[in-house]
Amino acid sequence: MGRYSVKHLTLWALLAALALGLSTLDGILPLSALLPLPGVKLGLANIVTLFALYVSGAPAALAILTVRCVLGAVFAGNASALLFSLLGGFCAMGAMILARRSGGLSVFGVSLCGAAAHNAGQIAAAMIVLGDTAVVGYLPFLLLLSLVTGSLTGLIVSRLLRAAVYLPLS
Amino acid sequence: MSLKSSPPECRPNRRDALAALAIALAALVIALIYYIPAETASLQVSVSVDGRVEEFAPLSRYAGVHTYSHNGYTLTVSCDGATVQVVSANCPGQDCVHTGAVSKAGQSIVCLPARIVIRLSGGAADLTVG
Repeated sequence: MGRYSVKHLTLWALLAALALGLSTLDGILPLSALLPLPGVKLGLANIVTLFALYVSGAPAALAILTVRCVLGAVFAGNASALLFSLLGGFCAMGAMILARRSGGLSVFGVSLCGAAAHNAGQIAAAMIVLGDTAVVGYLPFLLLLSLVTGSLTGLIVSRLLRAAVYLPLS
Repeated sequence: MSLKSSPPECRPNRRDALAALAIALAALVIALIYYIPAETASLQVSVSVDGRVEEFAPLSRYAGVHTYSHNGYTLTVSCDGATVQVVSANCPGQDCVHTGAVSKAGQSIVCLPARIVIRLSGGAADLTVG
């Protein structure tokens, strides 16, 4: 870790803490009362993941994501929550890294790919936990919802990145 | 950390629209595959608990109140012969209760904490959930 400055480590720790807070807030919001789909969430923590990907690069974003998922599962005291967040999170991260590297996509496009992949990963986790393919029926609805949540995340992160140009992050 | 030297593109472009279209198409294809009606005369209800099928019967014969317990959670399921719904559960999210009544092939009620899945198959399909 010698190649990382204290400034970088502090930034990543702050982002991990922020992601954990947003993830907790996401769990509290009664979204499932409006949309009765298992695991439906706004994906607020993806704002931090996407921001970290652009500001700090893929390795740091992956580290922040892992810390958020592990600590989130520890605080929730639920082992299956770890599977859900890790599978969803890593699928989203993989899709966003590939989408960003492919070129041509803006922050919005990368965010959309991440949101869709996140839902696909969570459905895969649900299939593993339940031992049943019935949850696949929810995927079309979650994918359509990811167009909304991904756009919102993209909008917020694009605004953050415009502001971040003026911050001494490097 | 090179936002100044190579700022990311922050405005939506045509490729973003194509990505959104691809996601919408994927949703449509999965929905069509999943909700294609099976060639059976009547609706069947299956209840699986932790991956094991506990109950499989024609919807008309399933009428009544049923309770299923697993993982420390109990679901009370009501069926009037045409629709099925979870009327009460002690799971934290209450997603299964919020799903409401299901009555069409392909629809399901899922309780992740209890690992219980109630699924309708056969008959005519419908794309609505809840």
